[in-house]
Amino acid sequence: MFSKRLILGFLAPATFIYFVFFLLPVACTLYISLFDWTGFGDHMTFIGLKNYVRMWSDPVFWISLQNTFAILVVGGVCVFALALLFTALIDSGVWGKKLFRFIFFLPNILAIVAVTAMWSYIYNPKGGLLNGLLKGIGLTGASKFLWTAPEHIFWSMLAAIVWVNTGFFLILLLAGTDKVPKDMYEAAELDGASIFQKFFFITIPMIWDVLVISLVIWIIAAMKMFEFPYAFGLIQIPQQLYTLGIYLFIMGFGHREPIYQLGYAAAIGVVLLALTFILIFATRRLLRRATLEF
Amino acid sequence: MSVAGVLPRVPGISSGTALRHALARAPVYLILGLWSVLTIGAIVWVVLGGLKTKREVLLSGWSLPASPQWGNFPRVLSEGNLGHYFVNSALTVTLSTLAIIAVSVPAAYVLTRAEFRGREALTNVFVIGIGIPIPLLFIPVFMILAWLRLADTLTGLSIVFVAVSLPFTVYLLTGFFSSLPRALEDAAAIDGCNSVQIFWHAMLPLARPGILTAFIINFIWLWNEYQLSLTIINTGDKRPIGLGLYALQNALQYTSDWPGLFAGVTIAIIPTLLLYAVLAEKMIAGLTAGAVK
Repeated sequence: MFSKRLILGFLAPATFIYFVFFLLPVACTLYISLFDWTGFGDHMTFIGLKNYVRMWSDPVFWISLQNTFAILVVGGVCVFALALLFTALIDSGVWGKKLFRFIFFLPNILAIVAVTAMWSYIYNPKGGLLNGLLKGIGLTGASKFLWTAPEHIFWSMLAAIVWVNTGFFLILLLAGTDKVPKDMYEAAELDGASIFQKFFFITIPMIWDVLVISLVIWIIAAMKMFEFPYAFGLIQIPQQLYTLGIYLFIMGFGHREPIYQLGYAAAIGVVLLALTFILIFATRRLLRRATLEF
Repeated sequence: MSVAGVLPRVPGISSGTALRHALARAPVYLILGLWSVLTIGAIVWVVLGGLKTKREVLLSGWSLPASPQWGNFPRVLSEGNLGHYFVNSALTVTLSTLAIIAVSVPAAYVLTRAEFRGREALTNVFVIGIGIPIPLLFIPVFMILAWLRLADTLTGLSIVFVAVSLPFTVYLLTGFFSSLPRALEDAAAIDGCNSVQIFWHAMLPLARPGILTAFIINFIWLWNEYQLSLTIINTGDKRPIGLGLYALQNALQYTSDWPGLFAGVTIAIIPTLLLYAVLAEKMIAGLTAGAVK
């Protein structure tokens, strides 16, 4: 019932746009990464893998990589710990399940710059909400803490990232627990199981596949982190907030003054892509298990 | 699992146990309540901040506006140019989202229903895009747009918006189409409809909820994004709202105009908040559909 012409006609627009404006750029990145190139029209010099060699001894690249991994691992542990905790609590039969889900997900629909502005206000040394609160409850010493000082700014930012993402992963996990047969919980209740026993011995094994997919989604989100730290760092973004995505952008387009090391920026992109896919495959492989029948 | 030795306790058999149950739940409500207050409170406080004076914000963030400064809103709309950015976004994001739907729906339909060689491979090629980090695209996308003379234009930005939204949208819609029953299509085919008619009259009406979900999710994320705009748009006048807010936030260190920024934030989040308030269930269902099979 599908003619060749129809299949072609229905697929062509999406495939064309996707190939030209998504896959072709990815291929371009691989190609550019082998050149020394300052930009449009200028001569491109083939330098093989020199951009990658340079990365090896570039301390700023290592800072960016370390920050990206800190977001991935430390941020990930916090996001999943909180999301799992909230899943257990919301599923323990509280009133207003949908309302909580609605509120917890809310930060995800706000413009990222709206959220960074909000958190800058919370951390602001002058009249900021957090220090105002600490002062109000009598912790005068703690209320002088500089949340956005260079040595603290990364962790302050990570707290905000955790706040946004917890709600996102919460809705994924809740969608998983909705599919768990209710009679399993009833049987456990008869045996006197507590909320947390039920959660660890029934819920977690039953939503394992959802957990693995959620982890993969987190890996993708964490590795490409750009917008949140970049806006949080304001115009003079400190190196403490550099991620691989930010370092790529700065090497490509410069920041306050132009840099235009396009070959090097592209090489950072290739490493970012490779790391992302290695992590996705490793996670899927390590956490794979026989599907549970019920 | 053994029931032996443990007498089944029936909840709510006396008022004493009911009270105990309520008390046991108290910490649960406390924790969930605290996080809710933090979230709602942060948003309300920013909106309130848009009604304060500069002095009030810097003196103490916790103060309430002595007299609401409604003037902050028109000021940021005209002086901060936010009204202009709002219109840029409204046009660019609406048109891009419609274009995403227009190209992904037929593609997803064919990818789920037609039989042809390479169907699965092509579906996978689309889906793999979900894992490709967007920053990777910054440089080559700018080059390609420059080559097409579309750099620094909202048209160029819209095309890129469509391209980067395709992987998720195709994934979402192929999942949705495969969950639809084939009976109606078969009936339409027996009635002598050709495949275009089947698509138009039988499939599209059935697919409406999935299309609506795809529309909201893409609209909200494109409205909120600023990384692609930052890369592609150089002219101040052409900024979409996300990038406009970014510029406003960066001007803060010279102007200290927190109330202006908060008023801007409030204006920028109104459309997505409204969409979310009305269609939250649909959006959440769409986002989770792929993770839960």
